[in-house]
Amino acid sequence: MAKKEDIIGKISAMLPANAVCTDDAYRSGVVFSASVPLEKVRDVLGSFKEGGFYLESVTALDFQDTGELVYHLNTYEPKARMVVRALVGDGAVVQTVSDLFPTADWQEREIREFFGIQFAGHPDPRNLLLPEDADYYPLKKTFGSVNAYRRREEIYG
Amino acid sequence: MAEQLQAPIVERVYQLNLGPQHPSTHGVLRVLLDLDGEFIVKADPVIGYGHRGHEKMGENRTYKQFMPNTSRMDYLSGMIFNHGFALAVEKFAGIEVPARAKYIRTICAELNRISSHLLWFGTYVMDLGGFTPFLYAFDDREQILDILDRVSGSRLTYSYCRFGGVCRDADAQFFDMTRAFVKRLRSRFPDYENLVTKNVIFIHRVKGVGVITKQQAADYGVTGPNLRACGIPYDMRKVEPYEMYDRFDFEIPVGMNGDALDRYRVRMEEMEQSCRIIDQALDQLPSGPYLNEKGSFKVVPPKGEMYFAFESARGQTGYYLVSDGSGTPYRCHIRVPSFGNLHVLTEVLKGTMVADAISILGSIDVVIPEIDR
Repeated sequence: MAKKEDIIGKISAMLPANAVCTDDAYRSGVVFSASVPLEKVRDVLGSFKEGGFYLESVTALDFQDTGELVYHLNTYEPKARMVVRALVGDGAVVQTVSDLFPTADWQEREIREFFGIQFAGHPDPRNLLLPEDADYYPLKKTFGSVNAYRRREEIYG
Repeated sequence: MAEQLQAPIVERVYQLNLGPQHPSTHGVLRVLLDLDGEFIVKADPVIGYGHRGHEKMGENRTYKQFMPNTSRMDYLSGMIFNHGFALAVEKFAGIEVPARAKYIRTICAELNRISSHLLWFGTYVMDLGGFTPFLYAFDDREQILDILDRVSGSRLTYSYCRFGGVCRDADAQFFDMTRAFVKRLRSRFPDYENLVTKNVIFIHRVKGVGVITKQQAADYGVTGPNLRACGIPYDMRKVEPYEMYDRFDFEIPVGMNGDALDRYRVRMEEMEQSCRIIDQALDQLPSGPYLNEKGSFKVVPPKGEMYFAFESARGQTGYYLVSDGSGTPYRCHIRVPSFGNLHVLTEVLKGTMVADAISILGSIDVVIPEIDR
């Protein structure tokens, strides 16, 4: 258990105090969440990698004013899920983490084709699930019919 | 073999499409194999043939309307996916569930887990050339489908769970049938043991084949029986006990080597553990209401997000829901276990032989519509 606290401490030291949030009650299913500037994502995930974490899921959110990447990490311990989130502006390029976590290879391909977020240094930027010639980004809120298209602060305050 | 791989003569390497209509790819999976003779140099799974856009559909439906979608992702453990979605939304929106409903849902989910493992067992042994066990397994599985059909009205895509309970109460006959089934299945395990587990031809096809190391498992996010076969006792039912799993006495079977034989053993033992859970749930079953009527009317979770993980038959599954305070999720992402379980094959298949590829692919137990979503 000490290991987990070490990593949280290490990451907290890298970031401003208000970017980090710990929730021992596990209300939203994570014990620790950190909002990270885009260029620090690799460093933060690198520390998780050293601590023996595995990457559970990578996904993205689309808001009117910004996009957001959400990385869920976990280790083989009870209630240890952590989330790292980073805002992605229009046209911003994200550094790939597929060399740290090979599973990110496919997950980033999926995000690229569904949200149009580009990953620099990705070894294999083909479409994964969509047809090879797909020129649309289906999970963007501007595609097809959507129920709501909101600004980020409307949800996260 | 090693020398061959280190210095492949480029002209000798040729490509072979395994699938998308190969009988042992179980659904529409295509694996593009680069072969040097009979050895695989590179394997590239091509997926997406069954992509239906469940995540987009989730953003356009109310929580209740999305329930039928969940069982269509992993159609072999639809009850568990329904169950997990109900649990996620209940936790998110703070809906109380009566104790009886929790027990009924647990029994159904465990029955579904057994049926999924039985189907895997039958088809896997058939992939390896043994036809008879397939008939035995489907005979047993049919009993489960009858039981679940009786209680939910459906054979595969159940949609039996509701937010706050289940849609109708289970009757005495359901419990009688379940007890009879558990007894019958236990009497079948020795048959399976004699037919398959001790079969020398079977052992030769699976022992030491398709080894997933602990490091590879962590790298690719492998979960479920495939991870437990590497010797890591990691099961959502134990580490993040949801529903009633903390009240039952059961074990997590683990393997040692992470090969196909261990994955086979883990699944076979898991069926026995599921029987134990069902036995205990039937003994403890309380009376009372089966549905919290208030809960299932209009579901409006507060603003924010929720990640809920549970153990499906194939591994750790998670619903990531973001709510904007309306009755429809703003984002609905599903973390599926087969995604990582299939991805690791790009490593595992390297250097193996084509005939073993079928054995490895079968032993991983992937469900393609779940990956494609």
